[in-house]
Amino acid sequence: MSDFRPILRPALATKKAVASAALKLSPLPEGTILHVLARSGEQDIVPLLDSLAKPAAHAVRPVSPGQWFIVHEEPMHHKEMKSLFAALEPRATGVDQSHGRVRIRIEGKMASRALSKGTAVDLDPSAFPIGQSAVTLIGHIAAHLTRVAPEAFEIIVLRGFAESLWDDLARMSLEYI
Amino acid sequence: MASLVPCPHCGQRPKEEFTIKGAALTRPAAGAEAADWFDYVYLRDNPRGAYEEYWHHTSGCRRWIVVTRDTVTHDVAASRDAADRARSEART
Repeated sequence: MSDFRPILRPALATKKAVASAALKLSPLPEGTILHVLARSGEQDIVPLLDSLAKPAAHAVRPVSPGQWFIVHEEPMHHKEMKSLFAALEPRATGVDQSHGRVRIRIEGKMASRALSKGTAVDLDPSAFPIGQSAVTLIGHIAAHLTRVAPEAFEIIVLRGFAESLWDDLARMSLEYI
Repeated sequence: MASLVPCPHCGQRPKEEFTIKGAALTRPAAGAEAADWFDYVYLRDNPRGAYEEYWHHTSGCRRWIVVTRDTVTHDVAASRDAADRARSEART
């Protein structure tokens, strides 16, 4: 048998903090990310998602037409997830992405300036208000971007790209540190 | 030069987020003549002016869209979801 033992550790555990008065980059806890895909013809399941997510304080983030992420800080118990997926059927299907995607938070008054170096999305608060989400390229990496506070963004990225994106964001932030 | 492509779902986005498939042609019926299929697969017009193309918003909403674009000026006259286009064609 091989001596190699895979160890589950947070994707960004080894990264050094990037923080100053103007900008802060922080890995978010690897809690729960569920990908919800609506059946074709079922475009308006937002009320259903809200009714399932609100009581448990989960956030619902639009991804693209008919697709959403349900996000939570804490890992979700298997039983709870199973009942949530059952409640979505038959109008939509849920897929557990908790270990497949990583969340990064970038905040501070220079956060949108730093992000604008990597994405073409207009991040002005008038065009991209709190709660607004967009899937876009940040540099060469596709990522899901949400404004969660006036000066804070949450980025959801595929786990395999998380370290690269972190390094890119750290470099983009250098002049504000 | 910034080439912006309007996505019906995401708004103006740079062309780097997209993958181009090519001319948006009407697919022949399954039992059509071999010659029709040959034309559909291999023959393309190369117009100077308006052109309908499939674009895939690969790094965005991941939807196929049909962009009506001018090959000379790159002015985009229309952009719609490929599924909507297929539905409106099925109706006519």
